[in-house]
Amino acid sequence: MPLHSYMAELRNFEMAFLLRLSHLCDQIVTSFGRLGAWAVLLLIAVTLFDVVTRRFFVLGSTRLQELEWHLHTILMMFVFGYALLKDRHVRVDLFREQFSAHTRAIVEMAGNVFILLPFCIMVLYFSFSFVSSSYEMSEVSASMTGLSHRWIIKSTLLLAFLLVLLAGLSSTIKSIDRLTDRTNPNPSAADQAKNSGHD
Amino acid sequence: MTESLLPPFMFVVLAVLLFSGYPVALILGGVSLLFGAAGLMTGDFLLIEFFNIAPRIWSGVADNLILTAVPMFILMGIALERSGIAEELLKCLSLLLRRLPGALAFSVIVLGTILAAMTGIIGASVVMISVMALPMMLARSYNPALATGTVAAASTLGILIPPSIMLVMMSDLMAVSVGTMFLSAVVPGLMLSALYMVYVFAIALFQPQYAPRADVPEISAVSLVVLTLKSLIPPTALICLVLGSIFAGWASPTEAAGVGAASALLLAFARGKLSFQILTEIVENSALTSAMIFFIFIGATAFSYVFRSLGGDDVITEMIQATGLGAWGILCIIMLVVFVLGFFLDWVEITLIILPVFLPIISLMDFGAHVEGRDIIYWFAILMAVNLQTSFLTPPFGFALFYMKGAAPRGITILHIYKGIMPFVFLQLIGLTLVALFPAIALWLPRQLLN
Repeated sequence: MPLHSYMAELRNFEMAFLLRLSHLCDQIVTSFGRLGAWAVLLLIAVTLFDVVTRRFFVLGSTRLQELEWHLHTILMMFVFGYALLKDRHVRVDLFREQFSAHTRAIVEMAGNVFILLPFCIMVLYFSFSFVSSSYEMSEVSASMTGLSHRWIIKSTLLLAFLLVLLAGLSSTIKSIDRLTDRTNPNPSAADQAKNSGHD
Repeated sequence: MTESLLPPFMFVVLAVLLFSGYPVALILGGVSLLFGAAGLMTGDFLLIEFFNIAPRIWSGVADNLILTAVPMFILMGIALERSGIAEELLKCLSLLLRRLPGALAFSVIVLGTILAAMTGIIGASVVMISVMALPMMLARSYNPALATGTVAAASTLGILIPPSIMLVMMSDLMAVSVGTMFLSAVVPGLMLSALYMVYVFAIALFQPQYAPRADVPEISAVSLVVLTLKSLIPPTALICLVLGSIFAGWASPTEAAGVGAASALLLAFARGKLSFQILTEIVENSALTSAMIFFIFIGATAFSYVFRSLGGDDVITEMIQATGLGAWGILCIIMLVVFVLGFFLDWVEITLIILPVFLPIISLMDFGAHVEGRDIIYWFAILMAVNLQTSFLTPPFGFALFYMKGAAPRGITILHIYKGIMPFVFLQLIGLTLVALFPAIALWLPRQLLN
């Protein structure tokens, strides 16, 4: 077997593994995102309940109000990564529209490695102390009648940036696939995976 | 030396990286990390300050009952879009106004104003009104430039007329009341809508070939009344419920958003437009749009925190003072900066990056008897809101123009759109000048209702 075709074999083998990893990341991020999205309905329900009980039965509950922002937090933290996967985060498209697919893949990969990765690691590192100190001092709501176990909701911050990191990993693999895939003139596997995952 | 160099350099690096087309939120985060690290080396930034970033993100994005209104307002807009009330409303309005010259363009402006009072973001309303109204206007031989200009201007009113998500976020950043902010925006929003109407009316009167009278089929008075009631009652009720309860002080904006979102879902359900499939789409779209906004919030929080720690506030204040301009000159500069940035950036980035930077200056501005000290923030926010609405409309990169190009029927070129929008951009500038010269346009209503 000539060397270059051997290399191509090896590349295909590695890429197949990486693409499966990317697909796995997508699945994890998507599951959390789709689950977290429903928090908005719960949020609306709790808000309605809060309004009705306070106006008409004068119950007034700090717990309900805290539950509202807890749900809002779950919504955000679960969905950030999913929005990245779905390419819903704002970009300045001015020059990007003129870029070739190749250039876009380079920008994406460079951005993931030099911006997304360090930023996520930074936030994860400093959030960890934020969450663990909340756990160690058994932080509860500042209000007497609020919710307890504040560290649980705070740890969603860690989850959020883990999911963003996974979405970034997946996007990096897809970019590598696009950049190295010179042998195959057909749409790359990443494109196919993306199309099948897109609804 | 380094102290004064790092903050301006931060903006330069940000600007360069933004044009790569990588997501804005992450670039903001990356730049703040880079300059935090640079500051560590020069001694302008302390390691312990990095620990403050997580709590700041937390109190901005998570532990914040005011911004909890945002995802619900977003869902309300998306659910209303799916409920199909806009189509019926447009049909009804064009029948009611059929005797007026330029009836259809008039109807589009009224529709845009009503939708603006029900929704808080504009992307959806531009697409919705374009898809509905543009083919209708072209079929009735409207001038394409006039048609596209009217649609673009009317459908971006949502960013100004409450409930506006932008005003909610501005209130949060400036630590002022959302209710008062909403009240301040009512009259300026209606004034702009009136300016559009006057313009369209004048065109239809003096250039009838631009907006020809349509042969609308006559319908019986009874069926017109039925249609009017059926199409006008739900939106009116919803607007009264949401804005009325905020203005009357019965509900916080967050509570009103919850009630509004629930009503919008109920409305879509009652009209038979809410299958489980559609509900899933509404929920997922709302979540993704909210995540988009709040992810920029995270990046901008990190960015403005590092910028301030490096002494950026002082640098900006010194720069402004070095120009030797008075309050009016500074205001003009800020408006110009916002206007120019509007060519490239969305309101989310402009509000979240620029507002914290200018906030210390704004609170120092003194307009004497023109605007009282405590009112300056509301007045300034409304000026900024009108300015940002304009930024959606300015060629070549106005976002509304792109949304519209995507939704417009064949035969509409980007040049039609550019040509059509120019008179409306001019109207916006008139509106902006009016609010600047007569602050009462913004401040009168809250003063009347809150005192």
